[in-house]
Amino acid sequence: MKIMTCPLNGPRNISEFHCAGEAVLQPDPRDLSDADWADHLFLANNSLGVVREWWCHTPSSYWFIAERHTGSDEILKTYPANEFFRERVDFDAREEGA
Amino acid sequence: MAAANPVRRSFALPKLEAAGARFEALGDFQIAVSYRNAADEMATAKRMGLADLSPLPRVGFKGAGTCNWLQSRRLKIPEAPNRAAPQTDGALALRLAREELLLLGGLAEGAPDPGDLCNRWQVARTKPRGYPLPRQETHAWFLVSGEAADSMLAKLCGVDLRPAKFANLTVAQTSLARVNGVICRQDLGATLVYHLLADSASACYLWDCLLDAMTEFQGGPVGLTAVRALPAT
Repeated sequence: MKIMTCPLNGPRNISEFHCAGEAVLQPDPRDLSDADWADHLFLANNSLGVVREWWCHTPSSYWFIAERHTGSDEILKTYPANEFFRERVDFDAREEGA
Repeated sequence: MAAANPVRRSFALPKLEAAGARFEALGDFQIAVSYRNAADEMATAKRMGLADLSPLPRVGFKGAGTCNWLQSRRLKIPEAPNRAAPQTDGALALRLAREELLLLGGLAEGAPDPGDLCNRWQVARTKPRGYPLPRQETHAWFLVSGEAADSMLAKLCGVDLRPAKFANLTVAQTSLARVNGVICRQDLGATLVYHLLADSASACYLWDCLLDAMTEFQGGPVGLTAVRALPAT
C-alpha cells in the first residue's frame, strides 16, 4: 500500500485520500478574455513533472496541497493549503455597462 | 429523566436484539445495559468487549472561534488536533482539527448532556464562536475494551493502535473496516479502551465486522453496566 502523509493526521494509506486536481492561483477575471477564463475553469494543464495538487483526507475531510511528480507518481511534499494560498482574494464586481 | 416508552433506538438495534440484549430507557433512547450475567460480562469486558454507546449524548462544534468560545464555557481543550481531553463532568473532548471539537457525554449515570452547550451557543453573543454539529444522528458510537483490543483493531485499521505507539487520549481519524471513522483511546481503570465513531448508516455492518474480528480473541458484546464498572477495576 502506498503511504501519503497528511499534514493533519500523519502517514496514512493512499486509499484514505482523494485528489481534486491542480492547485492554481485564481487569475483576476477582470484581466482575462472569456476564452482564457474558460481555460482556467475547465481545462487542466496535465503537465509532466512536479505538479501542485489539491488532496483531501476523506475520514477527516481535511484539504491540503501535495506536490507530486506525474511521471513517477512520487509524492514529494504535502503541506496545509494556507502555505500556498497565503492571502484572501476578493474581487470587486464590475459595474454594469463599465 | 427516563421516558416510559423510549422512542429512539440504537442504529444497530437488530444486531443487539440478536445478541440477546436487555434494554433500559436512557432519556428518550433505549440502551443495551447487559447481555448475560454480570460476572461473565465483566470478564468479557476486560478480555475483549464491544459495547454500543450510540444512545449516549454527543455533540460537535466547528469553525473559527470554536476553541475560544468552548474555553470560555470552562471546557478543557486538548492541546493539539487529534488529541482528547477528559472533562471534570466525565465528558471527553476530542479535537479533530484546529477549530473542530467532538464532545462525548460521560459514561457515568446522570452525566450531563454536552448537547446543552447548543442552547448556550444559541444565546451567546461572542463572535465568532463556530457553529454546532449534531453528532447524535450522524455517528454511531461503539466502545471496544480489553487487553487485546489493539490486536483486534489491527485487522480492520491501518493505523498503529498498539498502546506503546498510540498513547492514551490520542485520536485517529481513519478508515476502519473500510468505513471512515474516528478512533480515540481512553483507558478506563486498568483496561485498554477505544471509542469508535463511524457513519450511523453503517452501524450494523461495523458491528458485524467488529464481532467477527473479535472471535479469535473470545470477545463478545457487553452492556453499559459492564462499561460503567470498568473505571473501578
